[in-house]
Amino acid sequence: MLDFFTIFSKGGLVLWCFQGVRGPAAAATAPVNALIRSVLLQERGGNNSFTHEALTLKYKLDNQFELVFVVGFQKILTLTYVDKLIDDVHKEFRDKYRNEFQQKGTLGILNGTFDFKDDFMRLLRDAEESSKVRAPTVMKTFEQSLKSQKTVKCMIETRGEKPKEKVKNKKNKGSKKEGTESAAAPGKASAGDKQPSTAGEKEELTKDEILQKNREEFFRRHMRAGEKSSKSPKPEAQKEKGKKPRVWDLGNSNAKVLDYSNSATNGSTEAGPVEDFDPDIALGDRNREPGRLYDLEYESDEEVEEEKVIQNPSKPSKKKSGLGGMFGMLKGLVGSKSLTREDMDPVLEKMKDHLIAKNVAAEIAVQLCESVAKKLEGKVMGTFTTVTSTVKQALQEALVQILQPQRRVDVLRDVMDAQRHRRPYVVTFCGVNGVGKSTNLAKISFWLIENGFSVLIAACDTFRAGAVEQLRTHTRRLNALHPPESHGGRTMVQLYEKGYGKDAAGIAMEAISYARNQGFDVVLVDTAGRMQDNAPLMTALAKLIAVNAPDLVLFVGEALVGNEAVDQLVKFNKALADHSMAQTPRLIDGIVLTKFDTIDDKVGAAISMTYITSKPIVFVGTGQTYCDLRSLNAKAVVAALMKA
Amino acid sequence: MVGSLEPHLEALRRELRAPDPAVLSVLLALLAVAITLLIWRFVQGRRSSRKAVLLLGLCDAGKTLLFARLLTGKYRDTQTSITDSSAVYRASSDKSANVTLIDLPGHESLRLQFLERFKAAARAIVFVVDSVAFQREVKDVAEFLYQVLVDSTVLKNAPALLIACNKQDVTMAKSAKLIQQQLERELNTLRVTRSAAPTSLDGSATGGPAQLGKKGKDFDFSQLPMKVEFVECSARGSKGEEGDADFKDLEKWLAKIA
Repeated sequence: MLDFFTIFSKGGLVLWCFQGVRGPAAAATAPVNALIRSVLLQERGGNNSFTHEALTLKYKLDNQFELVFVVGFQKILTLTYVDKLIDDVHKEFRDKYRNEFQQKGTLGILNGTFDFKDDFMRLLRDAEESSKVRAPTVMKTFEQSLKSQKTVKCMIETRGEKPKEKVKNKKNKGSKKEGTESAAAPGKASAGDKQPSTAGEKEELTKDEILQKNREEFFRRHMRAGEKSSKSPKPEAQKEKGKKPRVWDLGNSNAKVLDYSNSATNGSTEAGPVEDFDPDIALGDRNREPGRLYDLEYESDEEVEEEKVIQNPSKPSKKKSGLGGMFGMLKGLVGSKSLTREDMDPVLEKMKDHLIAKNVAAEIAVQLCESVAKKLEGKVMGTFTTVTSTVKQALQEALVQILQPQRRVDVLRDVMDAQRHRRPYVVTFCGVNGVGKSTNLAKISFWLIENGFSVLIAACDTFRAGAVEQLRTHTRRLNALHPPESHGGRTMVQLYEKGYGKDAAGIAMEAISYARNQGFDVVLVDTAGRMQDNAPLMTALAKLIAVNAPDLVLFVGEALVGNEAVDQLVKFNKALADHSMAQTPRLIDGIVLTKFDTIDDKVGAAISMTYITSKPIVFVGTGQTYCDLRSLNAKAVVAALMKA
Repeated sequence: MVGSLEPHLEALRRELRAPDPAVLSVLLALLAVAITLLIWRFVQGRRSSRKAVLLLGLCDAGKTLLFARLLTGKYRDTQTSITDSSAVYRASSDKSANVTLIDLPGHESLRLQFLERFKAAARAIVFVVDSVAFQREVKDVAEFLYQVLVDSTVLKNAPALLIACNKQDVTMAKSAKLIQQQLERELNTLRVTRSAAPTSLDGSATGGPAQLGKKGKDFDFSQLPMKVEFVECSARGSKGEEGDADFKDLEKWLAKIA
């Protein structure tokens, strides 16, 4: 049933391979390579299954000996024994070839022959059989289930009484657990425990009383040992003899009795009882200047107290963990210890909170920490390294890995290529409202002009008031900075616009053909900002990109954005993919991160954006003048991110 | 000053002459430990100075297979490497000198990280190029090579560089001469574009302050401070999996630098 099962080292050598039902020998390499590239190298190792064309791949990492176990089977099959099979194979393979790995290292892997076929077939057979054979499960009787032991009352939540009830619930369940062996005990114990709870509670609803009584009857009928419990509800039940009519305090009385207004004070010239009026008390501060409005006085003491209160409950736990942690640290310092999930969990929690505090989107922080945990599980730490330092190191490497571009980021080189083919290089800017598309477009055109390329700006923002004028102002300024005389008589920047209200895709197409005729090197297309949820506008953008096939589609995002970044990018990509007719749709090719000067070191937006799209950050905008254009430095960003 | 030292020296001499051997033995032990530490550090420093040969290249260039063939001579199936592998390689049976072969992953996300880690220990670099896909990938190859060449540590140590044009068993493979010409042309263009790229966030220029080759002239591999050679090889070998790999030139070069 399996297509293949491979075991290979992280260094790339295949140790053992099993070809299953079908497929030529090389069919295992392509899907596994895809698995490695998209999952392991992009830090999406949170869940351990991956789909590639018609196959589902499940994998397991052995971090101690640096091995990877991958199994592949058809997507349509749902094989339940695969997880267990991988674990068993992992254990057995590791135990069998422990010597080769530990003593001989890489040469052992290279020279060793790993004859694992018989063991594997045996394990496979066992796994398949275990999945087929399963005894029919006997249904639980009502008494055995948990439902019979809960009362309606303890499922009702009341404010202020909640902790009490929860404690009682636990007592209920605790006593229940002791008494589950005998069938009679559960009913008796729960009924018995109900008494203190009902006696202690002040409010009693009539319905619950009746329900309780019915339950007593029911249990008594089935079990003769319930006499004792039935006596106590009787005194409570006797309180309610019959239904009494409800009497309102003020009902049936005259309106006169209800009129509390003193006829003397309202609208009469007679003065009411005069209280002693002390102007000092009324006005308060004697020293205030008449007529001046003071600023709000900001009391920081209350906040400090709040923090103290919050910290106090956490302190005792810290102290406890401090002592335990000290011994744990000593234990960890000496000798080689392999990392377990429990060791890593507190550190990973802290790191996740740290990342979220640095403006990384929440779900991405979670996925990242999961992936790092998977990579470190079972790894043997060296001496004198703590868990914290290992986890921090691994997280830092993962972050640098994410920020490294997966493809070449060299716009000038591509422009030169297009120049050689005598066609313009088209760049499209898209993004939500107000992120800085037009500003950064001007900055990029300045940079291109400095490098000697002529630019045509296509004003495809036909919606926003003043968009065309803004670009016209930029064009004028850029031409003033780089007049045609200093560039051999040709205008370096020109604006192509057709006013407002027209179709953006049409304007873009005309602009590109105009650029081709006039010999411009680069065309920068400015689009209108749009929210990612706005379906008709997203369709319009997708149409513009699909029809004009630009060389570079840049998504402009601001560095201030937090969790929204994930939503924006996902929806933009989805819209571009859905509305494109081509086999391989044009998606976002790169990201421009703007307003980077407004965040000090909360640089998490960079991580969120590159993680979601796995596309590089091409430019970083750090201000509003033409020179504020930078390229991303992965190490600096990660250093700022990991800084405490 | 000397007067204050005198009583101390006197006290020391008295202590040394005293029949109590405790202090003396402690002093001797400390001295021995200090000397051992110094010698050890000296030896360590000399021993670990650059005995590594790095195998670099793009993804699917054939580095891991080359690594396996050099060490064992046998053909192994390979997958994309996620981490480095290193082993000691004996150049030829009679020479005692040996080098550590280190195979680094070629994937874009990892290559620079691993290069950072191992560049200081590199005595030589073997840059493996896929001759069949070269035409398509020439820009990526050139960019990686450029990044390796402008690295400050590499420029300082100037390890010998060998560009191995792999996969010569396939008929469509380009020759080493053609690859050399194309790389020179591409690196010439890259010099201009990389130095014109926007400066990095923390101020350091992306292309590095180093200028590759001579300014006025077209780029040539002979302008580099290190020795560069081009060889053709085939890790898979003409007979495929059963036969030997075809890399006599590569082995000769390795023997020369070992």
